[in-house]
Amino acid sequence: MANSMLSALLVEDNAIARVVVSKLMVEQGMALEEAENGKAAVESVKGGKSYDLILMDREMPVMDGHEATKQLRLLGVKAPIVALSADTQQCHKDLFLQAGADEFIEKPLTKDKLAQILTKYGLRRGDAL
Amino acid sequence: MEYSSLHRQLATMKKSFFDQGFLDEQFFQIEELQDDVSPNFVEEVVTLFFKDSLRLMGNIDHALEKFPQDFDRLDSLIHQLKGSASSIGAAKMKNECTVFRDFCDKENQEGCIRSFQKVKKEHACLRQKLENYFQLLRQVGPVAKATRSGN
Repeated sequence: MANSMLSALLVEDNAIARVVVSKLMVEQGMALEEAENGKAAVESVKGGKSYDLILMDREMPVMDGHEATKQLRLLGVKAPIVALSADTQQCHKDLFLQAGADEFIEKPLTKDKLAQILTKYGLRRGDAL
Repeated sequence: MEYSSLHRQLATMKKSFFDQGFLDEQFFQIEELQDDVSPNFVEEVVTLFFKDSLRLMGNIDHALEKFPQDFDRLDSLIHQLKGSASSIGAAKMKNECTVFRDFCDKENQEGCIRSFQKVKKEHACLRQKLENYFQLLRQVGPVAKATRSGN
């Protein structure tokens, strides 16, 4: 039986952050797609794409992370959505969780934080087998 | 032994970046991502950061000249710059961006202009330091691996 690579969607408007997180994810053996804002993420799912994990930035142009999370859940997305933000005010955390995110992680995303997320949701390399 | 002397210089230089608050833990995270597949990952990301941040700072300079001021646009631009700085561990720059954002929130034009001067100063300072660092790193060669400050 062939290995099926687990896939993730990174929704992040900052190009530098995308480069760093992308390397982190690839190192963990995940296939990664990127969306520059919430609307692009929603369009991706509407276009038939599915993911094992979604990393969602908060502040983005066009459509922010709260709204994108809400819309993805309305579209029936069941994958874990992990909110990422440098702003850890409780109100933002609450908004994200109410929108349907599974948890909220403070940016920047580190190797350890990512490993914890992947372990929590059964997405470590080899879990796909 | 010139090689070990260069190594020591490199380690001392890097330690000073952390001791003086220019860089934070995130820089180590980026170093740890450097591997055989991406042997110049750190320098590539840092180069990308300085290219992108120069563009953003140009846009901020331009935005600051406008009257009446569009603080939402300014906030969006500095948010981008702060995010980029944070992604490479540029601690002082990130902190100055936070101060700038606070002035944006209060719609304080003068405050924005003053704090942006500090952002630019920290940017220039960090750029010089990292350019010197990578120049030295190239002399040492690919043997140097990610180490915590002082090691």
